[in-house]
Amino acid sequence: MLKIEDLHVEVDHKEILHGLDLEVPEGEVHAVMGPNGSGKSTLAYALAGRDGYAVTRGRIHYGDRDLTAMAPEERAREGIFLAFQYPVEIPGVMNANFLKSAVNAVRRHRGETELDAIEFLKLARQKLKLLNMDEALLSRPINVGFSGGEKKRNEIFQMWMLDPRLAVLDETDSGLDIDALKIVAEGVNTFRGPGRAILLITHYQRLLDYIVPDKVHVLAGGRIIKSGGKELALELEAKGYADLVKAAAA
Amino acid sequence: MNIDTASRMPDHLPFAQPGHLGKSPVWLDDIRQQAIERFRKDGFPTTKIEAWKFTNLGPLARTTFREAIDRPALTRADLEPYRLTPDCHLIVFVNGQFRPDLSALDHIPDGTRVVDSSAADEDDLRALTAEPAVAEDSRARTLFDLNTACMSGGAVVHLGPGAILDPVQLLFVARPAAEPTAFHLRNLIRADAGCSATVLESYIGLGEGIYWTNAVTQVAVAPNAVLRHYKLQAEAGSAFHVASTSVRLDHRAAYRLFVASLGSALGRNEIDLDLAMTDTVARLAGITLARGAQHLDTTIRLDHSKPCGTSSQEFKSVVDGRARSVFQGRIRVAPDAQKTDAQQVSRSLLLSGTAGADTKPALEILADDVKCSHGATIGDLDEDALFYLRARGVSEPEARKMLIDAFIGELIDRITLDTARGYFRAAFDRWLSEGSRS
Repeated sequence: MLKIEDLHVEVDHKEILHGLDLEVPEGEVHAVMGPNGSGKSTLAYALAGRDGYAVTRGRIHYGDRDLTAMAPEERAREGIFLAFQYPVEIPGVMNANFLKSAVNAVRRHRGETELDAIEFLKLARQKLKLLNMDEALLSRPINVGFSGGEKKRNEIFQMWMLDPRLAVLDETDSGLDIDALKIVAEGVNTFRGPGRAILLITHYQRLLDYIVPDKVHVLAGGRIIKSGGKELALELEAKGYADLVKAAAA
Repeated sequence: MNIDTASRMPDHLPFAQPGHLGKSPVWLDDIRQQAIERFRKDGFPTTKIEAWKFTNLGPLARTTFREAIDRPALTRADLEPYRLTPDCHLIVFVNGQFRPDLSALDHIPDGTRVVDSSAADEDDLRALTAEPAVAEDSRARTLFDLNTACMSGGAVVHLGPGAILDPVQLLFVARPAAEPTAFHLRNLIRADAGCSATVLESYIGLGEGIYWTNAVTQVAVAPNAVLRHYKLQAEAGSAFHVASTSVRLDHRAAYRLFVASLGSALGRNEIDLDLAMTDTVARLAGITLARGAQHLDTTIRLDHSKPCGTSSQEFKSVVDGRARSVFQGRIRVAPDAQKTDAQQVSRSLLLSGTAGADTKPALEILADDVKCSHGATIGDLDEDALFYLRARGVSEPEARKMLIDAFIGELIDRITLDTARGYFRAAFDRWLSEGSRS
């Protein structure tokens, strides 16, 4: 579903990703792990199409399309979802209004009928219940005054509402206590399945106890330096990144 | 017309003649004579004068205006989209002239007057021609003087003691002609003791062309009276709009003002407010939306003259294109105005790299037991927020609209009268959708 080839990305004229290759087949969950500064968030933003993350070389294939020239909203409508490491607080914009616009933009793109206010509310309530979230969230401004856990759960809620094909979860475990982590992990696990792919970007192995990946990739210095099964995560947890990075550089 | 206009107007003034105020008493002749002499001496304010340093009236001063004399054919149906509600009290002026045929004044209750200024009694005439409520360098006031000399029409709304009146709309329609025309409007809103009133001033341009609205609105709120005052400035794109609202609050008077400025090429909205007696409350808020090459200025002078007054000012501007917004807000607390509570906030949102905003707060506090604060911010649309919305599938124009709407929404939501809130909401929505088309 996702095939990244020789991806070079510059931020502020500085190259952060130096030829990254990665493939995530449909139906699979892959984890990208790496130390701070390795380019994890740059990868997430480059996939979502953030301004200022310039792809200078390489390709991002998504199905039969090349993402690199697409605006963020086009990618979202094509089924790409980025769960933010730091979900943005937006005072004055109600969750419900925003999410209804987003859901209907995606539905229009797919040739589906738009949801009216009642249908939207029905769907939203159903998903919120599954995530054990209060529906009062809908009438609150986006992420304003939310705890860290609430923000991450709101990301998962939005993911469910938008029903993407490729979900990129950027440090979704950061700032979560163990209970919140379990809820979020359950939300992701329920979501995984045929027709979808998930890319988990994380620093720590902890999340992978709850969302077991099919594959683990190690990102360091702007490249994938090693790929393996889920046991690679445990190895990293035990030994740290340093040896691996050194070995790759040698 | 008792004034010998020809001999009293300076030669270089493009105005044919001062307007009509019925039978003009001698004292009024004197006031107008003095006003025109001050204008003759100082002319249009320039940017060298402190109060005008951000707003250059050059384009206005260089334009030759003639008096509007034609009577455009308009029907009530033409004005329907600009009315507050289909059945509110309505007094209409087209190109500065009172239009009884378009007004709806049949249900004004006894004890209340809503009339053209030519029908004002002497008492109202004095209130209409009072000095501005707050002192200022006379060279900064010459357009007020010009208005005094040339005023030719305007509304007088006078609520008797204890009156409760449904909303009154003063609708000023400009139908530009081939040649530039000028309208010097002079309005009076007078709320006698204990009354409660809602007044909306709407300035609407129909069609394109150069014209100048020079409006002065005098407001007097008597003891225990409540006035909710709204103003929409939606002049035509090449218009000049210069307005001075001058407000005096008596004991325990409460005044609320909400102003929306979105029209005209060059606009200046001055508000002079004197909390002249004790225990008064003034809440001022406004939204300026500017794009293209518009220059829209809001200048407030607020005096706390007596103890226990409360005032708040909350003004926001959204500026796009090469446009510029100006906010100047001066608060003065007199030596014996103890227990004053005065707050001021101005915020500007710039939507383009070439948009600009000037903001100048000024506090002059001469009493010691007061609470005063001011804050000003100028910023861009939050890029993180924009990306967040887009990353969920919302288009860029739609995402920008959501964020602009969020910025101004809290002020709109605070408009107490439902119909007024809907009226302004509709005006802002029109502005926002025009922007996404361009």
